[in-house]
Amino acid sequence: MIVCPNCKHQESDGAIFCSECGMQLVQYTPGETQRFDTATGELQTVSAPQPVSQVPAWISLHLLESGQILPISDRMEFTMGRVSENQPIMPDIDLSPFKAFDNGVSRLHAVIRNNAGNIVIMDLGSSNGTYINGMRIVPNIEQPLRHGDIVALGKLKMQIVLS
Amino acid sequence: MPIKRPDFYALLGLLRSATQEEIRRAYHKAAKRLHPDANQAPGETELFLEVQQAYQVLSDPARRSAYDATLGPEETAPEVVEKRVLLSRKEIARLPESQLLYVLIDIIPSEEQKKTISGAPLNLCLVLDCSTSMKGERLDTVKSSAVQIIRQLKPNDIFSVISFNDRAEIVIPATRHQGNTHRLETRIQMLQTAGGTEIFKGLQAGFEEIRRYANPTTVSHIILLTDGRTYGDEQQCYELAKQAADLGIGISGLGIGSGWNDIFLDQLASYTGGTAMYVSQPKDIERLLNEKFSNLNQTFAENVVLDFQPSEQVTVSYAFRLQPEAAPLSKQPPIPLGPILKDWPLSVLLEFLIQPVKAGQETVDLINGKLEISAATLNMAFQPVPLRLAVSVRETITPEPPPPALVQALSKLTLYRLQEKARAEVEAGNYEKATQHLQKMATHLLVQGERSMAKTIMLEIENIEREKKFSESGDKQIKYGTRALLLPGERKR
Repeated sequence: MIVCPNCKHQESDGAIFCSECGMQLVQYTPGETQRFDTATGELQTVSAPQPVSQVPAWISLHLLESGQILPISDRMEFTMGRVSENQPIMPDIDLSPFKAFDNGVSRLHAVIRNNAGNIVIMDLGSSNGTYINGMRIVPNIEQPLRHGDIVALGKLKMQIVLS
Repeated sequence: MPIKRPDFYALLGLLRSATQEEIRRAYHKAAKRLHPDANQAPGETELFLEVQQAYQVLSDPARRSAYDATLGPEETAPEVVEKRVLLSRKEIARLPESQLLYVLIDIIPSEEQKKTISGAPLNLCLVLDCSTSMKGERLDTVKSSAVQIIRQLKPNDIFSVISFNDRAEIVIPATRHQGNTHRLETRIQMLQTAGGTEIFKGLQAGFEEIRRYANPTTVSHIILLTDGRTYGDEQQCYELAKQAADLGIGISGLGIGSGWNDIFLDQLASYTGGTAMYVSQPKDIERLLNEKFSNLNQTFAENVVLDFQPSEQVTVSYAFRLQPEAAPLSKQPPIPLGPILKDWPLSVLLEFLIQPVKAGQETVDLINGKLEISAATLNMAFQPVPLRLAVSVRETITPEPPPPALVQALSKLTLYRLQEKARAEVEAGNYEKATQHLQKMATHLLVQGERSMAKTIMLEIENIEREKKFSESGDKQIKYGTRALLLPGERKR
């Protein structure tokens, strides 16, 4: 059994995408494996599976204005934006508590992915753009992120802290 | 030197290892086509007698083994197709629970065949809905599109047109037009609308026309254009589609507007390896009909059927054709997979559900069967291509990342399946679940840069929340829109 790290839906072993939320199940863990002990002929449980949902924080967003640090765990990929009423699209990380609206953050602004250790960011066609160290990036194209980069969603600036 | 005659197995398109059941089926199929009451081409009655003789020998185990003794070693048939198979895992763990495995199969004409492919003549029948609802722009566009098709026919092509409403009428009987297209165009221009929609009547008349010239050296296909629903005769239509499939006749559908039944048309087409397409506005009729016509002209093999013995341990839990024309497939063998075009592979994705592996079991057979290929472009009988897919069982495995091509195809297909879920949930009255699934879809589409599709879905979510149902054509727009995303980049519109 695999548990989707995004929505906790249970999928059969071997599933590649979550059938509930469409998320790619990047992490593979073998299910509970049983084996015949050749000496005794008894069925034994070899290893208990570790739950997949515990991906340690691999990136933190250090918001420059408020000084807050947001560690991101569990997800290997997350969208950032702000929640607004009557709007069905929900970003994974809601930045509205950090004056997202005033800073010109779109509802679905950008996505950060961890492709097996390569951290990338992609602008999702936001109105006010995404900047890395002051350079505006082209929408819908992945750009590499390095430790210490300053990313701005519109005018909302944050420093990337990789762990 | 005497001309080498095909042996009885080749004559029936069988492997030497064929079971009695396979022999019986192959005989029935050939006999139906070649029977003196039905056949057309000269020489087919003689062929029928040979097929009968072959069956008499092979169906009798004693005579069969005597006959087998006279045969040389089984010749490996020239490879007609090349296939590429990708598995999500080559090994599976011995688990006390069920597990999933994905297989992507690509089939293309072999290099040898590519050099010699010649175009096969078409045997095409248009079955046109002329019910009242088609009045005006719809029928006008259908007429002009049909005329365009007529002008593109090759002298050898056979063409027929049926119009139907509550009854069917033969507008153009199946014939080779031999350059005289003017007369045919006039007939098309005279079509008028009246009455309701009874699809079976139209299909049946089309079937009767097309079968007169249906033989293994022509590409026979019925294209049904309709904008309405048929009531009560769906089952009859399905039976007819199965008969058509047996004779190598394909059926595709173009549904115009929002009133037609997409589930019916998808199912109907799937029996023959054909496709249903969605025409949102009349001006698209011409483009889609032309596209279908050009695909038929590009046919290398009209249909590939995947046949295997179903097992208790392994079931196909989802089957989908990604290319050349994206469409859901039947999950029960024999599965019609659809056509192979000359420069466009047939690509299908299968999801297998594997029940717990027994103690001591070393391998799990996913498929142990064959691909039956019908190809009008090849002027010869050839044997089915054996296909065996198996995975070995290990006590524990370290899962490797699945092949990228497979993951890529699955990522889009996952969205298509979310859409299927949402539709079923609206049907069942679970509106909240449905909108949740659509929300996930829209978010993924936005992330993938498919903004207009995402927008359509967002509007639909609002509609479902308000009206507790899909908007007039919203369900079809989302379904066929998501399906179009499955095509590789250069084929997308």
